[in-house]
Amino acid sequence: MNTTKRSNIPHFCIGLGVLALGAVAAWQTSIIPQVLYATVGPSVFPSMITVFLLMLGTGLVVAAQRGGWAHDQDGTITEMGSLGFVVAGLVLNAALIDKIGFIIASTIMFTLVARGFGSEKWWRDALIGFFLAFGSYVGFDRVLGYKIGTGLIESLI
Amino acid sequence: MVESFNLLMMGFATALTPMNLLWALAGVTVGTAIGVLPGLGPGLTIALLLPITYKVDPTSAFILFAGIYYGAMYGGSTTSILINTPGESATIVTAMEGHKMAKKGRAGAALATAAVGSFVAGTIGTLGITFLAKPVVDLALKFGPAEYFSLMILCFVTVSAVLGSSALRGLTALALGLFFGLIGVDLQSGQARFTFGVLELLDGINVLIVAVGLFAVGETLHLAAQKKHKEEVLEVKGGVGMTRDDWKRSWKPWLRGTAFGFPIGAMPAGGAEIPTFLSYYTEKKLAKNPEEFGHGAIEGVAGPEAANNASAAGVLVPMLTLGLPTSATAAIMLSAFQSYGINPGPQLLTTQGQLVWTLIASLFIGNVMLLVLNLPLVGLWVKILKIPQPLLYGGILVFATIGTYGISRSVVDLVLLYVVGGLGFLMRRFDFPTSPVIIGMILGPMAEQEFRRAMTISDGSLLIFIQKPLSLALLLIAATAVLGPHIWRLVQRKRMIRTN
Amino acid sequence: MTTRRDLLKIGTVGAAAIGLGLPALTSAQAQAITSLDVFVPAAPGGGWDGTARAIEAAMRADGILSEFKFEHVGGAGGMVGLPRFINGKKGQANAIMIGGMVMVGAGIANKSPVTIADVTPIARLTGEALVIVVPAASPYKTIGDLTNALKANPKAVSWAGGSAGGSDHILVGMVAKSLGLDPRSMAYVAFAGGGPAQAALLGNQVGAGVSGYGEFEEQIKAGKLRALAMSSEGTQNGVKSLKEQGVNVVLYNWRGVFAAPGITTAQRDALVALIEKMVNGPAWKKTLETRNWDGIFLAGDKFGEFLKKDIGETAAILKDLGLAS
Repeated sequence: MNTTKRSNIPHFCIGLGVLALGAVAAWQTSIIPQVLYATVGPSVFPSMITVFLLMLGTGLVVAAQRGGWAHDQDGTITEMGSLGFVVAGLVLNAALIDKIGFIIASTIMFTLVARGFGSEKWWRDALIGFFLAFGSYVGFDRVLGYKIGTGLIESLI
Repeated sequence: MVESFNLLMMGFATALTPMNLLWALAGVTVGTAIGVLPGLGPGLTIALLLPITYKVDPTSAFILFAGIYYGAMYGGSTTSILINTPGESATIVTAMEGHKMAKKGRAGAALATAAVGSFVAGTIGTLGITFLAKPVVDLALKFGPAEYFSLMILCFVTVSAVLGSSALRGLTALALGLFFGLIGVDLQSGQARFTFGVLELLDGINVLIVAVGLFAVGETLHLAAQKKHKEEVLEVKGGVGMTRDDWKRSWKPWLRGTAFGFPIGAMPAGGAEIPTFLSYYTEKKLAKNPEEFGHGAIEGVAGPEAANNASAAGVLVPMLTLGLPTSATAAIMLSAFQSYGINPGPQLLTTQGQLVWTLIASLFIGNVMLLVLNLPLVGLWVKILKIPQPLLYGGILVFATIGTYGISRSVVDLVLLYVVGGLGFLMRRFDFPTSPVIIGMILGPMAEQEFRRAMTISDGSLLIFIQKPLSLALLLIAATAVLGPHIWRLVQRKRMIRTN
Repeated sequence: MTTRRDLLKIGTVGAAAIGLGLPALTSAQAQAITSLDVFVPAAPGGGWDGTARAIEAAMRADGILSEFKFEHVGGAGGMVGLPRFINGKKGQANAIMIGGMVMVGAGIANKSPVTIADVTPIARLTGEALVIVVPAASPYKTIGDLTNALKANPKAVSWAGGSAGGSDHILVGMVAKSLGLDPRSMAYVAFAGGGPAQAALLGNQVGAGVSGYGEFEEQIKAGKLRALAMSSEGTQNGVKSLKEQGVNVVLYNWRGVFAAPGITTAQRDALVALIEKMVNGPAWKKTLETRNWDGIFLAGDKFGEFLKKDIGETAAILKDLGLAS
C-alpha cells in the first residue's frame, strides 16, 4: 500500500475512461427504440450494464485518488520506438489491405513488426514476410477456398 | 445396448476400409490445421467443402466432416498454449493456464495433457453417443429458457475464479465484456443496440475477434513495448512428455471435464465454452494448491480441454437422434445430409442406420488417429517457440489477419481486432485480467436472451425460475458456491469458540 | 476478359467516369454470358448459399454454363453484403446476387440507406411456405383450437420462431391481425434459427412454433410435432393452408436472383433468359423436388412489380408489430 495517498494520474485516467464508457452506454441505451409489447424490453439489460460501468468507474477513480493499485507485473513502456513500429505495421495493414491486397499489406506489416522486435535485416524480413503471406494466400484462397480478397499480386496469380 | 454394440461393429466394418480410413485421415489433418489457426473454425471449413458432396458418397463425406470437426477441437488448443492465441472460442480457457505453463518451460506437458485429455474425452463422449444418446437427449430437452438462465447464473459464479488480485479490476473487465456483448441487433425485439450506425456491427462482434485481439495482438504490443520481455526466450524444460506427477494431476480433471462437456454439449443452447468455464472453476476449487492457478496449473489445462472435446461429441447426440443442429457446425453438417436427399430427423437412425453407425465408428477411429498424430507433433510444435521473436510475432499478426479479414473481408473487423488489441495492451499495462472480458461477452447475451424468453413465456412472472425443479436446483448450487465457503467459515469459527 | 474487369475494379473512380462509354462495349457481349459472378450476401452454408450452389449445380448439369465465381459477404440479413454488391458490381453484366424476403424485412427494420429496391430484379426462383406446429402433447388439435385460445387470451400461447421481425414473426403478426388481435400482444419468443426453436417445442417449453416446412418436416413425420396449417395458397404436404381453414393469410419465404444496378435492358434480358433456360431444364426441376422447394418462378418486370408490393406489405406489418416506424 502506498502511504503517501497521492492520487495516481494514469489510474485516475482509467477510471475516467470507464466512466466515459458508462456515459456512452447510457447514450446508446437512450436511443434504443422502445418496443411496446415486450415483457422485458431491449433496454433493460443495457441500463443495468450502464449502471454497473458507472459504479466501477467511480470505484476506480476513488482507488486512483487513494494512490492507485499495486501492479503484479511491471508494465511500464520502455521501448516507445519498438511499439511505434508495431503500431505502424497494424495501421498500414488495416489501411491498405482492401486497396493493394492482403499479400503486400501483410508483408509490410510483417517487416515493421519484425523491426519493432529488434530485427535489423529489413530485406530478409520483407522476403520472409512475403513468402509467408504469399504461401498463406495460395493455401487458403486457392486450395481451401477461404477467400482473402483480391489485390495487386492476387490478381496476377 | 447389445444391439447398439452389434450395429457399431457393423459400422466399424465399413469405416475400416482403406478408402474410408484415408478420408478420416484427411479430415483429422485438415481439422487440426484449421483448428490451429485463429479464427478459422470447423463450421466454415465444412461449409466450404460442401460441394464435395456432389462428388463422393455420403459415408466418405461424413467421415471427412466428422474428422474435421474433432480435429479442430484438438488443434485449437495448440496455439492457445504456445502463443496465447486461442484457435477456437472453446479453447480460450486453455490459454489461461496453458500459456503460463509454456512460459515456465512446460509447453510439452501442457500440449500432451491437452492431447491425451482430448482423446479420453472424445472417446468417452463417443461411447456416450453410442450407448447414452436417449437419456442424454431427454435431459437436454428439459432445458428451457428458465433452466438456461439459471445455468448462466451458475456460470457467472465461476467468473470469480478468473478475477485476479482485485475484484474491482476483474469486474471492470467483466463489464467491458458485457458491453461488447450488447452490440448488435437484439434477437427478441429486432432493434439495433450499441451499433453507432455501423452496418457491420448489426450482427454483433465475433467473440473470436475480441479473443484474438486481447490475447494475441495485445500480447504482441505488450512485448514490443518492453525490452526486458523481448529478451526473454521461452525454454522448453524437462522434455516434451508428461511426468508421473502430471499424469496423477491430470486424470481426474479429464474425467470431470468430460462430465461437464458431454451433457452440456448435447443441450440445444449449451455450446462448448460454458463447460470449459465450469471445469476451470471446479478444478481451481478442488485443487490442492489453488494458488498455482494463474501461474500454470496443469489441472486448468486438462479439465477445460477434456470439456471442450466432450462437448463436441455431445453436439452430435441431438443431431443424430433428433436431427437437431445445436451448433453452427452441426447445422452445416445437417445441410450436407440434405444435399444427399437424406432428411435428418428422429428417424435418421432407423432409415440411415448404416451411415450413422459408420459415422460413429469413424469418430472412434478419428480419435485414435488424432492422438497418434498429435503426440509426436508436440515435439514439433514446441519448436515454434524457438523461432526468433521478430519473425514469430510478425507471423502471429499475419495469421490473425487471415483469421479475421480472410473470413469476412471486412476492414471494420480488422480495425476492431487492432483496437481491441490496443485495449488488451492497456489492460496488461495496468494489470487488469483479460479473461473476464471474454466470459462476459459469452455469458451476458445468453443470460439476457434466456431471461427475456423465460419472461415472455411466463408472461412476466419471476416465479418461473423457482417453479421449475431443474432451474431451482441450479440456482441452489450457485448459491451454495457463493455462500458455502462463508457459512463453512462461520461454522468453523463457532466451533473454535466453543472448544475454547 | 478477366483482366479488363479487374482493371475496372482497380480504377473504381475511373470506372464511373468512363461508365458512359461502357454499355456500348458490353452490350455486344450481353448475348453471350460465359461466366457468372455469384454474390451471396450470407455466410457459406445457409439458405442463400444453398440456392446459389443449387443454381451452379443445375447449370453445370444441363450444360448451360460452367464457369462460376462465388463471393460471400454475410451479416444482418444481407444488409452488409448488399451495399458491397451495389458498389462493387455496378454495371457488370454477368454478376448476380441471391436474395429474398428476409432482405426486404431487414432493409426496413434496420433503416438501411440501400435496400433491395436498389438492385435489378431478375427472377423469383423458389418459395417456401411456413408451417404452424404445436408439440404432440398440446391440447390444440386444429388451427381453430389455437385461434380460439388466442382470441380468449392472446398471451395464452407462446410462439417459438426465428429472430424478431423475420418471416416467422411476420406470419404470427399476420395471423393475429386477421383474427382482429393486436399483433403486439402475441407472446413471441425469438430463437436463433430453426434448431433451437425445434428443441423448445420438443421439450414443451413453448405453446406453438412457426418455421419453414422443411425445417420441421422430419419431426412432423415422426409425430413429435403436429402441423396445424401451412401459409401457402392451398394444401401442401398434406397439411391444409391457413386460407382454407378460414384464416386469410398467405405468406411465402421466397428467394430470387438479382443483377447489379446500372446494367442495360439488353443485359438484363440476357440474364433473365439464362435463368429461364435453367428453370426449364431437367436438373433444376429435380433440385426443386429433392429440396422440397416450391418453384414459384416469376421473371423480369413481373418480379419487379411483385417486389414492390412485397416491400409495401412487409413495411406495414412490421409497423403493426411495433418493429418499424
